[in-house]
Amino acid sequence: MLQNEQEYIRILRDRLEGTLPAEDLEDLLSDYREHFRLGKADGRSEEELFRSLGSPEEVAKEIRATHLVKKAEHTCSCRNIFHAVVATLGLGLFNLVFVLLPFLLLIAMLLFVFVTGVVFTLVGPAAFVYALLQLMGLPAFSIWLSPLAGIFLSVGITAIGLLLIIGDYYLARFFYLLGIRYLKWNIRVITGTVNE
Amino acid sequence: MSAEKPKEEKRCRVGAFLCVPDTRPTRIILWLVAIAIVSFVIGFGILAASGAFSSGAGHATTPFSKTAWILSNTTEFPLDGATAGNVSVNMGAGEITLNGGAADNDLLEVTVFSKAPEWQPEYSSSLEGLVKTVRITDKGHTGKAWFAVDSTNRWEIRLADRVPVAADVRIGAGDCRLVLGTLNLTSLDVHAGAGDTVIDFNGYHGGRFDAVIMHGIGDLTLRIPASGNFRITVVQGVGDIAGTGFILNNGAYTPVGFNPALPVNEIFVKQGVGVLRLEMV
Repeated sequence: MLQNEQEYIRILRDRLEGTLPAEDLEDLLSDYREHFRLGKADGRSEEELFRSLGSPEEVAKEIRATHLVKKAEHTCSCRNIFHAVVATLGLGLFNLVFVLLPFLLLIAMLLFVFVTGVVFTLVGPAAFVYALLQLMGLPAFSIWLSPLAGIFLSVGITAIGLLLIIGDYYLARFFYLLGIRYLKWNIRVITGTVNE
Repeated sequence: MSAEKPKEEKRCRVGAFLCVPDTRPTRIILWLVAIAIVSFVIGFGILAASGAFSSGAGHATTPFSKTAWILSNTTEFPLDGATAGNVSVNMGAGEITLNGGAADNDLLEVTVFSKAPEWQPEYSSSLEGLVKTVRITDKGHTGKAWFAVDSTNRWEIRLADRVPVAADVRIGAGDCRLVLGTLNLTSLDVHAGAGDTVIDFNGYHGGRFDAVIMHGIGDLTLRIPASGNFRITVVQGVGDIAGTGFILNNGAYTPVGFNPALPVNEIFVKQGVGVLRLEMV
């Protein structure tokens, strides 16, 4: 049970220190202080104000998730999106299904495309060399039905591999942006601000 | 406004169909797409033109050689004056193809496809009077590394067409294809453990013979010439017998051209589990 405003502010500070920049944190805390001050001026009790704001732990989680998602939106990086996803997971257990599962599936898909691309990119030149060896009459390396066709097909395989790697980059960017929008929507739904 | 116009034109310069940004990555991607398409069209075009994709080529869907990395080794067994032959083939696991077409002076030729020379089967041959006996026996997996258990082990055996031959083929697991139409058989024994087997007597005009076919698990296909004097007795375990055009008489199947007054090629089939297909050709 919270005792007073100072304790509420202290818990918020403890939970958000290190996540938000010091300046932003102070701004945020002063907003809350102002909220308390205006509430009291209106004749509302501290208990009533606590109830309207929600517990400081939950409020800190929501602020943290919102901040990390925004950070990931402004600075694209694996680390930022990972932190944003983890912070969003903390908002509710059901996000294991609605956030973590799609996130892991996306990573698996992108990894699969990337690995396939790398394999094609490496196999292509190797197959090209074997086609040349086959043309030179080395039967032990006869992996192609036709070495001449093998030369062209291995070039094609290499090009497909490079396309997969490049495509994977753009796919990752697309899903990154889509993921950010999804996380923001998810936070809005959970915090009840979806229609605001 | 005037500053925007060149940018807009630049965006659509790549093509009327692909209205994509004309940036460096876009150009790289388009080049790669073009290279891939042209390479595959030329590559598969060469394969198609060379007949590699024809139905008889055996490589219907792949540009890769089936024998990639596989070493082949051919061994010939000359007749040495023999007028008849006994051939015994015993394979643990793999694929056997047996047909006619050996050179005139040979009783048989064996081409073994495997990944390493040490996996070759053991051969033994002897000549007793005018009968030459050849045995081909799989050494098993004793000399094979654990990772090579599933590797290719394919034997292609060509027998003499003009010499009477008693053939005994045993295979533990794997597919077996015997094309015997050009041979002159005196007897045929086939023992197959698990796998599909095709025995084709199409065009058979050799001497009379008895055949015993013991087939464990898998489908067995017998191709019998319509005009041939064959009688097939079947003991079927679990599975259907599929055959049209054959006459079933006292538990034995005979083709339409069957004549009991002439020498009869008796085939006894015992099938464990699988479909027995009797095809009249």
